[in-house]
Amino acid sequence: MAMHAHAQTGRLFRFLLKKEWLKLTIWLIGSLFFVFIGVFAFTEVYGDAAERQAMAIAMSNPAMEALFGRAIGLDNYTVGAMYSHTMTVMALSLFALLSILLVVRNTRAEEEDGILEMLRALPTGRLSHTISALLYLVLTNVLITVLSTALIFSIGDPSMTFEGALLTGMIYGTAGLFFGAVALLMAQLSSNGRGAMMLSFGILGVSYMLRIIGDSGTEVLSWISPLGLLYGTEPFVNNYWWPVLVALGITALIVILALYLQHRRDIGAGLLPEKAGKRHASALLKTTIGFALRLLKTPLIVWLIALLMLGVSYGSVINDVEGMLANNEIIEQIIMSNPDLNIVDQFISMIIGVLSIAATIPALQALLRLKGEEKKNRTEKIITGNRSRIKILGVFLGISLVTSIVMQLAQLVAFGGAMLAMDADLSFGSLFESGIAYLPAMWVMIGGAVVLIGWLPKFTGLIWAYLGFAFTVLYFADLFDMPEWLTGISPYYHIPEIPTDEWSWTVTLLSTGLAIVLAIVGLIGYQRRDING
Amino acid sequence: MTAVLEVNNVTKMFGKFQALNGVKFKLNKGEVLGFIGPNGAGKSTTIRILLGMLKADFGNAKIFGKDVWTDAVDIHKRIAYVPGDVNLWPNLTGGEVIDLFLSMRGVKVNKQRKENLMKRFEFDPTKKCRAYSKGNRQKVALISAFAADADLYILDEPTSGLDPLQERVFQECVQEVKEKGASVLLSSHILSEVERLCDQVAIIRQGSIVEAGSLEDLRHLTRIQINLRTREEASKLVEQDWVHDLTYENGTYIFQLDADHMDDLIRFIQPHGVVKLESAPAKLEDLFMRHYETTEGGV
Ligand SMILES: Nc1ncnc2c1ncn2[C@@H]1O[C@H](COP(=O)(O)OP(=O)(O)O)[C@@H](O)[C@H]1O
Ligand SMILES: [Mg+2]
Repeated sequence: MAMHAHAQTGRLFRFLLKKEWLKLTIWLIGSLFFVFIGVFAFTEVYGDAAERQAMAIAMSNPAMEALFGRAIGLDNYTVGAMYSHTMTVMALSLFALLSILLVVRNTRAEEEDGILEMLRALPTGRLSHTISALLYLVLTNVLITVLSTALIFSIGDPSMTFEGALLTGMIYGTAGLFFGAVALLMAQLSSNGRGAMMLSFGILGVSYMLRIIGDSGTEVLSWISPLGLLYGTEPFVNNYWWPVLVALGITALIVILALYLQHRRDIGAGLLPEKAGKRHASALLKTTIGFALRLLKTPLIVWLIALLMLGVSYGSVINDVEGMLANNEIIEQIIMSNPDLNIVDQFISMIIGVLSIAATIPALQALLRLKGEEKKNRTEKIITGNRSRIKILGVFLGISLVTSIVMQLAQLVAFGGAMLAMDADLSFGSLFESGIAYLPAMWVMIGGAVVLIGWLPKFTGLIWAYLGFAFTVLYFADLFDMPEWLTGISPYYHIPEIPTDEWSWTVTLLSTGLAIVLAIVGLIGYQRRDING
Repeated sequence: MTAVLEVNNVTKMFGKFQALNGVKFKLNKGEVLGFIGPNGAGKSTTIRILLGMLKADFGNAKIFGKDVWTDAVDIHKRIAYVPGDVNLWPNLTGGEVIDLFLSMRGVKVNKQRKENLMKRFEFDPTKKCRAYSKGNRQKVALISAFAADADLYILDEPTSGLDPLQERVFQECVQEVKEKGASVLLSSHILSEVERLCDQVAIIRQGSIVEAGSLEDLRHLTRIQINLRTREEASKLVEQDWVHDLTYENGTYIFQLDADHMDDLIRFIQPHGVVKLESAPAKLEDLFMRHYETTEGGV
């Protein structure tokens, strides 16, 4: 019987590759690109030892250590040490995420869809489907290990030794294996793919938090966190190998436990009990606003937390900006539009521009959700009810506008609060003025999205291209000397950069007016066009 | 006759909810068993236990004399399964999935037969599964099931997405495998389908088998619709306990007759001068409805 538990695993595995190869290729290219950018940027931008040392000082404060990990290799901050220090935690989280998605997609999600039932009715073993997903997990992470090692070693500078490169590749792959195994275990506990994913992300989040707390004092917590443990290998600095072995050992135990649970349990069942849902819709859910908020609740909360964290992390580095820039020409050029002005002020206004673009994303997402619902053929049920189209689009538009304001204010508070906590000298007033000045530009983007929803529903994705363009302008306009007519297309470009510039009522009123016109045009279009589902 | 499939007092709990309560029936070689019951009665649960996907809490089930939980792989080499709700990988074509399923059954596939089935079901195997309707996804499972021989076919409401013409094709397929000596367990909602195809019927309600036997036997348990016109009044009919729901309209009596009392009826009405006697054959549906009503009414 146990002998039969993996019958036909090979065939299932080949089949799995057939359906996954494209996703695998895209993920691998994306991941390697991420590794490449990191190594390339550090070797190019921080080729100079003095610059790196200045950076090392800037990086060794509690806020940065919380974000990136305990500072390592400070006495000789080579490119390798710098890469290890600043990129490892992010890379580990990325590969963990990739593996969680991979495992859930190929195990519990297929079980939930009823695909596993078809396979299990064939002469396949009770564990074959899971084992083939595990093989795929291993294959993916071995590829990540080998390719990352090769990439880092081939384009890195001399400080990036082969041993360090191999260890880096190994911890990337090990993080993937570990969290893939965790996801497989969670897939036994929860009876649906979404639940398994949420539990796994939760564990990843807890690992991240443990590492932050650990790296800001209670060191033992860092070692309990899988992310902290693997970070502790310190590639290119000390090259400790034992954490990899420990992590792989624990991974094996988790896999065995997951397979044991899987072998015993009923198909479709989860070990965690499911809460029964509500029998009746609440009064709030029955209103259009309540209904829309229910759809948007989770992503908006996630965005709020993300933006708060972004604000805190930018705010906490403000005192080190000068050291960090340390005459680094490329970065200086990105930030500085006017060499006569205070660089910290220019940095702040640039950061506020970046934050404003970031806060535009959830606002647009809230609005475009309506289009998403239409694509899934769900708006027709709302619209054929007693609610007018104008009202429905109006509600989503309203939520989008409120989102833009709330997100912007929240991250300004986080940014300013962190700066105060670091004893930076700043005026809260001018900081808020600067952030609020960007709101009309965000509304122009929202207005643009309404126009797309109203007139070109197939092309609502264009708004993201537009936002990406605006980001490029903000970041690179000074670096690449972009012509005025081109940069002027971005609504953010016209916003005065307070504190270095003055507040301008003309820009505020014109932008807001444009946003209103766009919204009205969009609403008219939505009133007249066919609803496709 | 040898039993291909035997279910003995199978009980299954989902937490506190009892989905199956001592389910018991069997299926002999070469027979087609109709497994019928209202939604939520426990048909799919029973079938998933038979396929070794759920573990019975009490009782046991055997297919080909082997235990369905421990010997699942061996059993599955000789069966074909079609679920009612078929989901497939969105980015693969129907043709690819059919080939995968067939290759995993480890049986010899006659290519001609497969192509033939696709033609009969009017199925286009070159589209990606994400583009298929429910009916088309079901055809993928049906074609994979019937394109190669199996000793036992387990079909769980396999026609819920098919149009009437394709349902015909399905019925022909069942007839064909039956002629080859295979056995079929057909869970169904469509009683006319069961009447046409099945030798045996098992009716399940709220997790228990309430009736099982050959269709012929069961017909005797059911009632026949009678339209009767007589020269003289026959109002005493209402007093007979094998007559039900009697109405009298324009000189015609309309009532339900217990199927095994036809003889009594003829004897009773003969003295009254029969002008017209029409009877509609016993329908499985009536039997089904009767069980439905009695249990619903708590009798
Ligand atoms: N995994 C499960 N967990 C809890 N209850 C279940 C589960 N599967 C089925 N049930 C319940 O068991 C009963 C029988 O379901 P099922 O066998 O699917 O019915 P049928 O196929 O006859 O329509 C239903 O009430 C159903 O809700
Ligand atoms: Mg069912």
